[in-house]
Amino acid sequence: MSIFKEKSVFTRRQFVKGSGMLFAAAVLAGIFAKIGFEAFDTSEEYIEQRAAGLYSLDESMAIRKSHENPEILQIYKDFLSPGEVSPVSETAHHLLHTKYGKDIPGLIEQLNAHQHEAA
Amino acid sequence: MSEVNGKVLKHGEQTRSMHWIHLLAFIILALTGIAFYWDINGISNIFGGPANASLVHRWAGVVFTVGPTIYILLNFERFARFVDTITTITKDDFGWLKTMGGYIPFLKGDIPPQDKYNAGQKMLGCLIILGCLIMILTGFPMWLWRHALSSGFLAFCYNVHFWTAIILILAICGHFFLAAIHPKSRVEFASMMLDGYIDAEISAHHNEKWFNELQQGE
Repeated sequence: MSIFKEKSVFTRRQFVKGSGMLFAAAVLAGIFAKIGFEAFDTSEEYIEQRAAGLYSLDESMAIRKSHENPEILQIYKDFLSPGEVSPVSETAHHLLHTKYGKDIPGLIEQLNAHQHEAA
Repeated sequence: MSEVNGKVLKHGEQTRSMHWIHLLAFIILALTGIAFYWDINGISNIFGGPANASLVHRWAGVVFTVGPTIYILLNFERFARFVDTITTITKDDFGWLKTMGGYIPFLKGDIPPQDKYNAGQKMLGCLIILGCLIMILTGFPMWLWRHALSSGFLAFCYNVHFWTAIILILAICGHFFLAAIHPKSRVEFASMMLDGYIDAEISAHHNEKWFNELQQGE
């Protein structure tokens, strides 16, 4: 039985077409990669600038920690835990802890009652 | 039909391996892609749920890209010959297209002799090269730079990726039907998926121009 096989003849035209196809694919891939890498670099740069901005804003603040804020300390001394600074006092617990959903009407009642007491 | 005995080696070992790898990667990509687009959990769950299916899609995309690239680099001559064949359109190809190679019952007429690939296969070859390139170029930005690219560019990639996928899936379904099911051409299936050989008589009939070249070379 005879077996027919292709002879490896490689013409100039085949070379030009094959390499042309590869070249076109490489150029297109290069364009897409350039768009992607540039966008990535721009994004990285933006994130770095934004982070630097937030840090510098924070560093320029006179008061940087809430538990050292004199106004907050005063509120505790005068109202939330009279005479001392006690962040877990009962009043602080009731007034500063967030309530959700069906607990809200009870909280409003409690606040109103407290307002009346204060008045 | 000419009376010829013997076999023709139509597709070499590396070509068949690349075709298998590309086919498997394509099936996985198509299934996972369809699962994402239409939110079909039944398909995603085959791959371990939507999140895993997404990972499988990306890495199948890497195989889909790297497989043919390695093949082309190792077999540049063969690739260049393939590109030359599918981009060389002669009046015989137009003749084949006029009768659609005899595949459509009401289109009658003589079918001119064809190259290693007939006009329909040439069109499919061009479509697959172009389609795969578009899928690769629009797929990787959506994976690697999705947090950095503009939403407009990403939407462009997303839409082009989707519509090219639809065209490719339909084209591959047609390719599968003609190469593996249609009684006139299903002999092609074994030559690409199994041993690479096809009967010389069939080749002499379906790819007369190419077969004559082979005979001259003997």
